[in-house]
Amino acid sequence: MTVAKGKQRTGGWFSNLKPQTRDNIVGYTFLLPNLIGCMLFTFLPVVFSLLISFTDWDYTKGFGNWNFVGVQNYLDMWQDEWFVDSLINTLVYTIAVVPITIFLALVISVLIDKYCFAKLPIRLAMLMPYISNVVAVAIVWVMMYSSFGPVTLLVKALGVENPPQWLADYTWAMPAVILMSIWSNVGYSALIYTSSIQGLPQDVYEAADIDGAGELTKFFRLTVPFLSPTTFFLVITNVITSFQIFAPIQIMTRGGPGTSTYVLVYYIYRSAFGYYKMGYASSMAWILFILIFIVTMIQWRQQKRIHDY
Amino acid sequence: MKKKQLASLLLSTAMAASLLCACGAPAETTTTGETAGTEGSGETITLHMWGGVPAESGPQAACDAFNEAYKDKGIQVEYERFVNDDTGNVKLETNLMGGSEIDLYMTYTMAQLTKRAEGNMALDLTELCERDGFVLTDYLGELANSYNINGKPYSLPCKLDQYGMVLNKDMFDAAGIEIPTEWTYDEFLDICKQLTHGEGADKVYGVYWNSQQDMMQYAQYLISQTLGGDNMYTADGTATNFTDPVWEETISLISTTMNEGYAPTHADSVTEKLSQESMFLGGKTAMTIGPWMVRNIKDTATYPHDFVTAFAPYPVIEEGQRNYTQGGYGDFLCINPRSEHIDAAWEFAKWYLTEGGIYLAAGGRVPAANTYDLEAVTAEFLSGAEDLFDAESLQRVLIEPHDNYAAPSITTKSNELSDIANQQLEAIYTNQVSVADSLAKAKADGDAALAG
Repeated sequence: MTVAKGKQRTGGWFSNLKPQTRDNIVGYTFLLPNLIGCMLFTFLPVVFSLLISFTDWDYTKGFGNWNFVGVQNYLDMWQDEWFVDSLINTLVYTIAVVPITIFLALVISVLIDKYCFAKLPIRLAMLMPYISNVVAVAIVWVMMYSSFGPVTLLVKALGVENPPQWLADYTWAMPAVILMSIWSNVGYSALIYTSSIQGLPQDVYEAADIDGAGELTKFFRLTVPFLSPTTFFLVITNVITSFQIFAPIQIMTRGGPGTSTYVLVYYIYRSAFGYYKMGYASSMAWILFILIFIVTMIQWRQQKRIHDY
Repeated sequence: MKKKQLASLLLSTAMAASLLCACGAPAETTTTGETAGTEGSGETITLHMWGGVPAESGPQAACDAFNEAYKDKGIQVEYERFVNDDTGNVKLETNLMGGSEIDLYMTYTMAQLTKRAEGNMALDLTELCERDGFVLTDYLGELANSYNINGKPYSLPCKLDQYGMVLNKDMFDAAGIEIPTEWTYDEFLDICKQLTHGEGADKVYGVYWNSQQDMMQYAQYLISQTLGGDNMYTADGTATNFTDPVWEETISLISTTMNEGYAPTHADSVTEKLSQESMFLGGKTAMTIGPWMVRNIKDTATYPHDFVTAFAPYPVIEEGQRNYTQGGYGDFLCINPRSEHIDAAWEFAKWYLTEGGIYLAAGGRVPAANTYDLEAVTAEFLSGAEDLFDAESLQRVLIEPHDNYAAPSITTKSNELSDIANQQLEAIYTNQVSVADSLAKAKADGDAALAG
């Protein structure tokens, strides 16, 4: 404001502008640092990746050293077994992780809220996997899944004679990664639910008590609907992060055995930095973006249809 | 309303752009000014070298020796380690493309060297060699030419990579088996069988393949002795070679040792993250696939053991199939073309090739150039651990140079082909499919990738 006033007094090009324009200039000047950051590190790379997704760029050949190949990359990927497997695995992973995580988080947060002593330490403990370094978590889980690890010993104790070698097994590697992801994500979702639960209107519950509603009825008829905006938020964020899973795969399985845990982001990474196919990797990244975009749009629509909060 | 929004958006974009331009210009002038200052005043040039070997395993000693020898000549060098994996190499490459921070660096595979030479990340050394009359083949023999890219040298190969099976001599002696100097797959398998004993946690295996780290590379050590350095490709390089009987025999051999219990299975290797160090130095296997953990053999504090380690050449399918010696040059020392001190870097590179290598021998790296005395290299290699090595087989297998190395010349899509084959090897080792079918699949996929 002081800047604007000072300029006004001296008179000049700035004070001759319309007040609305002046306000805009001042406003955007304040936004400028952020805008520059956004332009440089988000907008430009996005445009650039779209551009190179239509080329055969090998990034070691230097900037500008590329041929335009049209939509060839976008057509090729559907013939590429590794891409298709990665896509399927990513979908399987997301479909398994998101609902289970959210359901567990909801149940756990309600239970802790109602029936638990020492709520704070328990909530903190549940959040630990989420705030711990993902690399450390993944390595600990590699140990857990080893032949002498607790998971294998537990399964043996339950009477299975030859438990699978989880991370080296074509069938079990993916479930093993999924289990780890659920474990490490559930704390965060539970935390978000907990804060919503604490804000729920108590009078409605009292009314339900007077009407003689049981605990289960209250849970399904009151708590779940009341929490649906939170659920919606968690579904969207969890779906997006699930589509982008990378670090646990890189550390625990490197996509193996075979292609059984290859996921999209891991394959994009291998294509770009292992095979130097930057153009192809970019086109896959765009497919991933479109996929996330569509899923999110569908969720928005569903959300609007069910509730209008 | 829409127009106004658009106008203000354009305005802000323009402002952002002008600010960027303003930022760019003065920064450039400062850099040039600084450079002129240091070069002009004749101050000491400090070179920055990046390598994948931990500094304490030799590079630091080499750099210290260089700094001592060149302190009056105005050149000093600082060593920085990068981790030689995918991520580390990406970091190195982005740094190289971004500017002049790195003067010299190490490249560890031919595929990477090719990429870097073609991508203007490595300097063509032809002119410098000619200027100084420095003829590479005088130091490295004709084999040096195998490491040219498009006919030109882009690096000085500093290390002789010559591997062989690593053997626990005490176990061999106890079983009354001679240290082999020549052996076939059948004899190898038989020895694996004889040396395997025990059950459960006390089990001692005949061999450990270290498959959790890499499957292709280690199989190729065996294969290259018969098929040479381009064993993944057919002679003209247009198709893959995975269905060759040598591939089939070799993969069958590895697979058999795993399935018969003479070697830890691939699944064990992955789930336990077994390492060569823990398996071999922990006395849980009589043999292991490669000697790059030599530096750990000397580290008795971390890996306490008292047995003697011996070496043997890799086995071949049958007598008479040893067409090549597994090995060749490694540690390709490259100069960053964007370096501001190319002449100084070249001085260091020449020194490193012809004199510096001896400091790395103690860490288990055999120098490539012929300027070193073999006995001295062996002594340095053994230093401090004379009781833990069988000096005779060590010098014979790892140090004495040969003239028939399996040097690679084709690197087309080699990373991709390795991944494709790796996937099939994994299927074979985890016992899901037949060797022949899987290799046929690897060939089909590999050929498609080569054609695509």
